[in-house]
Amino acid sequence: MGLATHDIRKHFGTIRANDGISFTIESGSLHGILGENGAGKSTLMKILSGFYEADSGEVDLDGETLDLRSPADAIKVGIGMLHQDPLVFLPFTVLDNFVLGSPGPQRLDRSDARAELERVSGELGFRFDSERLARDLTVGERQQLEITRLMWLGAKVLIFDEPTTGISATQRDQLFLTLRSLAENGLIVLFVSHKLEEVEELCDSVTVIRQGKVVFEAAMPITSEVLVEKMFGKVFVEEDRDPAPFGAPVLELSRVTIEEGTTHIEDLSLSCAAGEVVGLAGLEGSGQRTLLRACAGLLAPSSGLLSVDGNNLNKASYRDHLAAGVHYLPAGRLEEGLVEGISIAEHLVLTSEDTGFFINWDAADEAARQEIDDYSIKGRPSSPAEALSGGNQQRLLLAMIPDEVRLLLLEHPTRGLDVGSAAYVWQRLLERRSDGTSIVFSSADLDELLRYSDRIVVFFAGDVFAMRNVGETDGEELGHLIGGKVRG
Amino acid sequence: MKRPRRMFGLLALLIVLAMIAAACSDSSDDTTTTTGGDETATTSGGEETTTTAAMSGEGFTFGMILVGPENDHGWSQAHFEAGKYIEELTGATMISLDTVNPADRPETSVEQVVDDMIEQGASLIFATSDDMKDGIEAAAAAHPDVPMIWSSGDSAWAEGDGYRPDLPNLGNIMGKMIYGKMFAGCAAALTSETGKIAYLGPLINDETLRLVNSVYLGARYCWEGAGNDPAELGLEVNWIGFWFNIPGVTLDPTEVTNAFYDGGADVVISGIDTTEALVVAGQRAAAGEDVWAIPFDFVGGCSEAPEVCLGVPYFNWGPSYLGVVESILAGDYTTEFQWLGPDWSDINNPDTSMIGWVAGDALTDDASATVDTLITGLGDGSINLFVGPLTFQDGTPYLADGEVATDAQIWYTKQLLEGVEGASSAG
Amino acid sequence: MRVAAPTLVALSVALAFGVVLLILAGAPPFEALWLLVLGSFGSASKMAATLLAWSPLLLASAGLVITFSAGLWNIGVEGQIVVGAIVATWVARSLPGPVWVILPATIIAGAIGGLIWALLAGVLKTYGGVHEIFGGLGLDFVAAGLVVYLVLGPWQRTGQASTSGTNIFREEAWMPEFETFGTAWPVIPVALGLVSVFAVWLLLRGTRFGLRLKAVGRNPQSSFLLGIPTNRYMLGAFAIGGALAGIAGTVQVTAFHHKLVPAISGGYGFLGILVVLLAGFSAVWIAPIALFFVAISVGSTQLDLRLGLDSAFGGVFQGIIVLFVMIGGAWSASRGSFSQAVREEP
Repeated sequence: MGLATHDIRKHFGTIRANDGISFTIESGSLHGILGENGAGKSTLMKILSGFYEADSGEVDLDGETLDLRSPADAIKVGIGMLHQDPLVFLPFTVLDNFVLGSPGPQRLDRSDARAELERVSGELGFRFDSERLARDLTVGERQQLEITRLMWLGAKVLIFDEPTTGISATQRDQLFLTLRSLAENGLIVLFVSHKLEEVEELCDSVTVIRQGKVVFEAAMPITSEVLVEKMFGKVFVEEDRDPAPFGAPVLELSRVTIEEGTTHIEDLSLSCAAGEVVGLAGLEGSGQRTLLRACAGLLAPSSGLLSVDGNNLNKASYRDHLAAGVHYLPAGRLEEGLVEGISIAEHLVLTSEDTGFFINWDAADEAARQEIDDYSIKGRPSSPAEALSGGNQQRLLLAMIPDEVRLLLLEHPTRGLDVGSAAYVWQRLLERRSDGTSIVFSSADLDELLRYSDRIVVFFAGDVFAMRNVGETDGEELGHLIGGKVRG
Repeated sequence: MKRPRRMFGLLALLIVLAMIAAACSDSSDDTTTTTGGDETATTSGGEETTTTAAMSGEGFTFGMILVGPENDHGWSQAHFEAGKYIEELTGATMISLDTVNPADRPETSVEQVVDDMIEQGASLIFATSDDMKDGIEAAAAAHPDVPMIWSSGDSAWAEGDGYRPDLPNLGNIMGKMIYGKMFAGCAAALTSETGKIAYLGPLINDETLRLVNSVYLGARYCWEGAGNDPAELGLEVNWIGFWFNIPGVTLDPTEVTNAFYDGGADVVISGIDTTEALVVAGQRAAAGEDVWAIPFDFVGGCSEAPEVCLGVPYFNWGPSYLGVVESILAGDYTTEFQWLGPDWSDINNPDTSMIGWVAGDALTDDASATVDTLITGLGDGSINLFVGPLTFQDGTPYLADGEVATDAQIWYTKQLLEGVEGASSAG
Repeated sequence: MRVAAPTLVALSVALAFGVVLLILAGAPPFEALWLLVLGSFGSASKMAATLLAWSPLLLASAGLVITFSAGLWNIGVEGQIVVGAIVATWVARSLPGPVWVILPATIIAGAIGGLIWALLAGVLKTYGGVHEIFGGLGLDFVAAGLVVYLVLGPWQRTGQASTSGTNIFREEAWMPEFETFGTAWPVIPVALGLVSVFAVWLLLRGTRFGLRLKAVGRNPQSSFLLGIPTNRYMLGAFAIGGALAGIAGTVQVTAFHHKLVPAISGGYGFLGILVVLLAGFSAVWIAPIALFFVAISVGSTQLDLRLGLDSAFGGVFQGIIVLFVMIGGAWSASRGSFSQAVREEP
């Protein structure tokens, strides 16, 4: 008896989010699903809970094959999911939320419902004031409400997607107690996380997913070294490095504080010299993008000093940064880099230094052909940006970087690219580095970070967590640091 | 005037595009009315047109240019029905074109329409709005052999400010709505419990000013007749700024009407093309308030809320237009300026009277009888309300003691009378 | 050409639908369609009337191609026509001198009026964060109120204030016409319209300014990061679109009405938006599509006069065309060809 998947596949466009996932989980177990961002675990959970339909493959529960076409189908057979933000209707009372989404067309009497709420929550050890407004509950209490509701609906499998985000340590401890007792009562509890520590503390068994595939399954305990290696794959070796000599400092941050949303980078001092490469590591949204945007002039630091080549750029605009030789390449190539519907030749005209009023299209096409050759772009001068593959889009973006650049800021420069394209991108970037350009880039790929960085800044939970010179660290330590854990 | 249906239609179409739904339906019965100009004045008993066995107009074609929709329940429909009346009585043929105005037909000018109608054989043209002045004058100059009537204009009036002796083929017909407004004022004064009457005005010009003054004179006459002190009679005017509501441009007539009632007025007389005043009165009466209203222009004007309607003054263009056709057929047509009052012997006679008054359900029998007395008195000349002493709002004399106003003094009214509360000029 | 295919199919379907409507209305359909043609092109004077109505629509549409290219829904175009007309009227009423002085002065005045009104919407958007649809709509109402105020107030005609408009301008302020073949041809308005369409086409096709404008319209975020001052370009698009709309206002007052009237815009702004949507945002197609639209408007008067059809038929027919073309567009977009075509047009 238990939950099993067989060869689940799901793709979005050309991306294979789930590429043949099969595993089995016994009833009564508390099972961790680990993987880095984009590994495919969220997609898998959404398939299990009916939000997505898989392209192929099947899901079995207690020996029966399920037909999951909607979240309602999943709940009917006993699979419930708690989202990072519990799906609670804030203006409604606890009782209303409890009753909402109850199965069947029959209307439930409110006093019956209240009795049910008290019974189920009592069994779980929760206490609610049924007339309180959901908006007045803490995130932890909303989770409890959601658990209560799902249990009342007869859940046999409960999926928790990053449930510890945004709750206090006490609530976390209580949540863990609840999860253990649910498992002890025969439920299957799936705990999805990228926080190694929590998985180690809580789970009986674990499945690691990487690039849409199951790469590792085992009963706990497993050492975190092993888990890190499984999550991030082959980790880089020192011999592959090929550093360049450093020049004078280009980018200098001195006691800089940057705030953006929940990100709060405090008192950061960092410099990047000509020819130096600084890698920014961390889970998505931990603050790397914020730092890059601040360096690019898209976000003003609230205090401290930010300078490029000694010029104070604290209050300077984005265009001033451009003029100072700063060039920013965001992650969204079609969203923030290129313009859909505009051709390769037109892009190159947009970034060329000619400023005549009329465009000489013959010359522009000729120039485009040259760049296409030069950067091995697969496309014609008239090809619109969206017709290019990700790798060719990145090549076009590289071709659009001005000749004279002092500081290159790159966000996930090789994300989504195949190995060849990624290598090509770095080859061109390293040429820039040899010309004395300094490079700051963010990446989720430990191998890339270790291979190309001279220094690595690790972000965790919206701030800089650690800084390491590349010779002084390794993939295993980085994996820990990214998960907010200092080794040792 | 009429609502610029087309512009709002286009905007609506843009907004709904996404909803790729049903095909457009014609909104032609959105009620609108139209008043180009209205009329009124005392004196001049008016040449009444007599209709008896009309002569045959078989083969005769005339053009009728309407500013609003031909079914607008108001100004334009009244003209359209006059055309039908002529067709029925004489067998003549009408070519009509409605919504001729820069909003609904931005690419069409009055001159072009006249050219088309003449090309189709029209040998008489009616241009039925004050708005058509420039177009019909240009057309009259371009076709000196074709008689034309510009309703509500003054181009053929030798004593008028706008006299165009160079256009001998262009005549004018207008009705003396001043009388209709006196009846309305009288009915309002007899009904009002607070002594406060309000007038929902369109835009300010000579015509609308004279109508407000007429309301005041009729109201004061009946108020005093009932033994009240004229100082306790109040007539307040608020101008919305156009003939009908244009959101964002004019004042909202519904809000203005509500403000009148909130301010203590209990009868609102409408001078605009649309029926907001009557509708609001109906709603407030349903909520238990004692309020009334008087609509305008159209014989069936009370139908939206008969229980609060004191009556409606209206135009009847048929007889006068028929007179023009008949005199052309008889070969004795002469161009003239006609400003016609009611047929005092029977103001609601569809074959003879230019101006009519229908008493509403809400008007008491006693009050109705008093209005009838006023009608009789005005008809036999024993009563004349445009007689001095009358003073304008700013204190300047209008008519000296005993002085009887001439048509020109009434037509070209530049100010409200003393006793009326409200603006005499824009801004 | 790529735009043309689905549009032509949709036009045919719309035409068939119109024929069905005519039959339902009890009118002889082919006679009615023939009357539409005769009514708009059947004589020299009809042709002149059609061309005169075509001109302001061309001007407004050309300006809208610019603002659409910059990704802006310039709903304020109506108000820009109105304010252009107001400023041109002011010049026509107050500037002395012969035609060759007043003609360029009124054109420039209209352009300035429309430009200022458009920049207001632009500044509200770029610096005030007010979406141009709402800002533009609000400014449309303000302009409509302003023109009514002027016509009934300070500029009221001699005698009494009237919604028929201001006094007719003196003849030196009329846009000259050219008399031949028994009618007066609106040569200057048509020339203004065609030149502006050509200029807009050239601007978008062959200049750096136009290319940047397109980039800003399609992806302001990328454009900003590429170093294009996006706000300045959006304001530039508003300025050009507003100036052309304002000249349309000049044409309305000095070539058609010869006075200022309350409904001075003629709805050509909103109609222009439909024209540009149908043209797939391409300058190349707006001239024929605009001509087609005004021909229906001008010609449909005949349906009314000769067949007694309801006056709304012309508008209903235009509405049907727009709906079918949009449906056709959505349908072929779902098959992946239309959106591509739209993008490719300069």
